[in-house]
This record gives sequence, C-alpha cells and structure tokens, in this order.
Amino acid sequence: MLNISVRNLALNFILAFSFGLITNAAIADGEVGDHVNDLQRHLSIYEEEVNWLIDRVNEMVNTYDTQGSEAAGTEALIEYWETVDFHAAIELNYIQIYASIWQGLYGVKSAIDSQATITNVTEEKGNLEKALWQALGAVKLAARYQQEGLIESELITESNILSPTETVDEIKASLDRSAAKFAERLPDEAVDIVLNAYLELFEGLEGDLIAQNADLVEDLEKDFNVNLPQALQSNSSLEQVRSVVDLMKGKLDQSRSILEIIESNRRDVF
Amino acid sequence: MLRRSATKLLVTCGISPWSTFVAGQVQPAVTVDNLPNLEGELTLYLGRGEGGLYENVLKAIGDRNPDFKLNIRRGPTAALANAIVAESRAGIYQADLFWAVDTGAIGLVAGQGLAHSLPADLVSQVRPEFQYKNWLPVTGRVRTIPFNNQNVTIDQITSDIMSLPETSLRIGWAPEYASFQSFITAMRILEGERATKDWLEKINRKAKKYAGELGVVMGVERGEVDIGFANHYYTLRLKSGKPDAQVDLAFTQGDAGCLVNASGILAINENETTVNFIRYLFTKEVQTYLSEEAFEIPLAYGVAAPPGLPSLEDLSPPELDLTKLADLRPTLDLMREIRVL
Repeated sequence: MLNISVRNLALNFILAFSFGLITNAAIADGEVGDHVNDLQRHLSIYEEEVNWLIDRVNEMVNTYDTQGSEAAGTEALIEYWETVDFHAAIELNYIQIYASIWQGLYGVKSAIDSQATITNVTEEKGNLEKALWQALGAVKLAARYQQEGLIESELITESNILSPTETVDEIKASLDRSAAKFAERLPDEAVDIVLNAYLELFEGLEGDLIAQNADLVEDLEKDFNVNLPQALQSNSSLEQVRSVVDLMKGKLDQSRSILEIIESNRRDVF
Repeated sequence: MLRRSATKLLVTCGISPWSTFVAGQVQPAVTVDNLPNLEGELTLYLGRGEGGLYENVLKAIGDRNPDFKLNIRRGPTAALANAIVAESRAGIYQADLFWAVDTGAIGLVAGQGLAHSLPADLVSQVRPEFQYKNWLPVTGRVRTIPFNNQNVTIDQITSDIMSLPETSLRIGWAPEYASFQSFITAMRILEGERATKDWLEKINRKAKKYAGELGVVMGVERGEVDIGFANHYYTLRLKSGKPDAQVDLAFTQGDAGCLVNASGILAINENETTVNFIRYLFTKEVQTYLSEEAFEIPLAYGVAAPPGLPSLEDLSPPELDLTKLADLRPTLDLMREIRVL
C-alpha cells in the first residue's frame, strides 16, 4: 500500500523541516517531550518500543486465536500506542506513515472485534508491523538529518516568513495531517484542519491564482469546502481520503508553478 | 449615517492636510522616506489569511530597517486573539502588535482593554470614516453584487439589499463563507433579526449554492446565475486575468449589501517602535502595494482605490462599528435555524 522510497523520504524531511512544518501545534496526543529534539540518542528506545508494541499485538492475536474476541481486549491497543515516545517522534517527522500506523491499529482492532478469520487478523497485523518498521526507518533518517544540521532541533519556527510557494507546502502538510487525524478516527478534527488550511493559508494565495487560472482555484475551493470534508465525514477508507488529498496536492503543485512565476515578476513594496 | 456624512463633508471641503490634528481631521498618507528608522525588537501576532503579500510587506519593512527585528507568531486569527487575552490574564505580554484579517478578533482584544490608544497624527492618516482611537483598519474589502453583463443590465439590480429577494433574477450565494456570514451579521445589526430571517428564508428558496465566493463569481460569469453575493476582489482579480469576463459589479446603498470590512492592527505594548511600525503600514507605498497587488481597498487617506472599483467617496457603506461584527454566534444560530447551514 505504501511504497515510499528512502530518497522520497529524505526529500520530504528536508521539505517539511525547511518550511517549518514541525510545530507543537501539530501534536494532538499529549506532551511531545524533549526526546524529539535529539532523535539520534533515542533511536534505541524507539526501536525497543516498536518491538514491544509488536510483541503486544502478537500476544493479542494469539489470545484471539485461542480464547476469542473478548479475551483479546483490543481496547488496550490504542493505549499501548499512545504511551510510547515513538508516537510523537513519527507524528512530528512523517505524518503519512503516522496515518498508516493508525490505519494498521484500527485494522487489527476491527478485525478482532468483528471476529474475522485468523488469516484476516494476521494480514492486518502484518500491515501494522510494516507501517511500524517503515516509521522507525523514517525516524532514523530524520535523526541523521537532524545530526547533520539539515533540520532544526528547535521545533517552533514562528519567526520564519513563509513565501507563497512555502505556503503551498504548508497546505499540503496540513492535508496530510488531516488524513492522519481521519486515520485516528477523529473526523471533526480532520475537517477543522482542512477548513483552517483553506481559510488561513489558501485564501491568501488565491488572489494571485485567480487572475492566472480561475478554474483551478474554483476546483480547489470546492475540494477544500466540499469534496475533502465530505470524504472525511463519510465512511470512506483511508485510501479514498488519500486519493482526494493526492488530487488536491496535484492541483496545489500546479498552483505552486503559477505562484513561482508571479513571485519572480512581483514588484518591490518600497 | 450622520457621522459618515459629516466626515465626508470635512474631506470634500478640503481640510488642510497639514493643519494641526484634531479628532476627525485627515492628513494624506506619507511616503516611507518620511518615517523614522525602526530599532529594537517587536513581536507581531499575525492572523493568517492574506498569504504572501502581507509577508512581502513585513519582509520589506525588515529589509529597510537592519537594526530592527520582527518576531512573528502566526495562527488562526481567532486563536491569536484568544491567546492575547489569555496571556494578559496570566500577566504575560508576549505580543507587541496584533494584525488581524478579521475585525471581530480586533474587537475581542480591544474589548478587553488591551489595545493602547494610537497617536492622533497617525490616526489622522486614515480615512475619517475608518478612524478608531485604539485600532486602525489597514485595508478594506467591500461586499458587492457581481452580475452577468450579458444577461442583466445594472438598472435591473436594486440598490436596496433588503428588496433583492423580490427580484426575478437568478441568484448565486455561498452562505458557508465567512465573509458572507459577516455580511449577514451586519444585516442583523442594521435591520434586526426578523427582517434578516425573512431575507435569508426568501433567498434560500431561490438561490443556487456554491462552495465559495469565487465559485459564485464564476457561476455568474458562466451565466448559471444572473447575480451573486461576493467580496469585490474576486471579480476584479478574475477580470485582471480575463478582461472580457462577462461579469461586472453593482453596489447597494447604505446597507449591509455594501459593507466595507477590513483587516486591522492594534498596539498591545505602548512604545515608540510599536507606533512607528504601524506607521509603515499606512505609507503610500504599502497601501498602494496592497491595493495594486491584492485589489484591497486602501484606507490611508489620499490613496486611490484599486482599478475597476469605484472610490469610497462613490460608495455608500453603512454606518457600523466594525468590531460589532464579532457577534457572529446569533448569525450562525439564525442560519442554522432556517437550515441555510
């Protein structure tokens, strides 16, 4: 399902950190902790946590296989995930895989709760494990960039001024965060993120875009206000939400190209 | 309407721009060369919404003042307003300035007594009908009626927003859009709950709904509807890229239909640098830049309106304290009650 190469991950990290997307506001599940400012030193802990989580899931699946759904106690699955430091490390560093972990967690939980076959449950467990290992790889890469000084360890970048093209990147990151909140089963929060991205970020760009490609802006206006909120509030799968997000990202990339030309021709204020 | 009429009279009678300032008088906007250099450090809470152009202005101010450092905290306008109020209650004053795209948020902060009075000579550089003692509107946007100029003539459009539901013209609207809701808030304040509810019910029965106000303008241009409700800049921007677009603007008179709303700035810390920073926003250069690049309505006195828009002297916006637009909840309740939202 997710086929993210190391090269793409690296590019995404640099983009995300360069444009100051990593803010405490992005975190919705409690304290972040100082560990995220020194990822390298905490990698072994994160790895232990991933192994510990996978062991807990294995135990749960085994219990389900031998004693049934109720004995498996799937409600503990989310609690396990929310107690580990690794949770914040991946949420800050690669929101798309973070969404996949939530999808994996709910995949296992739903399969057990609906008394699916052990084959199906094991398949869901495999998806979760895959997402967790991908996430660990992503955090290791982020740790390397953090050490090389390619990314800031300070997480608040409020003083940076965003150019229009950087704003496009921030909008795209907001869409990813929205999909992640959808995967966390927080649809209202997901919709709020989309609407805020529209009101607080996109509206500031659309003026320039309208003169160049009004149809594109009208399309995006509908995506922000109707298509994506509807997908987030319906019974869509994460893949369906992601497909809407990906379509929007394509249109936003088109917008970025237009904005680059506009900015290069923009006159000075003074 | 009395205060607006009186101040308009002052302006049209040609009060000397350099006369000693008293409240209500005006001075033309100054050029940046007349301003002192900024020194020291300020923190600006900036409500997002106007994208790169506000950022360009801030960068230009920074580039021009090498001994000045501007820290910016960005966020949703309402959240920043709440943060300022919360910080003051905790005895912390992190923000020196608050620049908001929504006058309601300005009203929230000013209403808590957190906004300092601004010097009279600075206030006097703002158009008289937009002078407030402890905050200043920076640039404006006006509510308009875009119409399809192939299907409708301007004479067919009433100048009274309240009688518009009686028209046989096809109407487009975007009731979920924040600016539309501010317009309805203004109508509620000016015309009352009952009249506003009737108006919404009638429009709701006949109007075609769009996702946003650009959609409304595009719908008008394509001829899907004859007229719509939208802020002025959508039409002007569309026509700047497509001069033959089949849409023009009509304006009502003296009612919420031609409300001029604004972004605004206020000073939370009272010091010379804070005030001088605000002066930069009212220079001819910044006001012209925002007008020409963003089609915003300049509110500094003596700076021309963007091309394609009548000057404010030719418009008749209603007399309304813009900070009252913060009272949005009853508007939303009303719109939900009749299932517009």
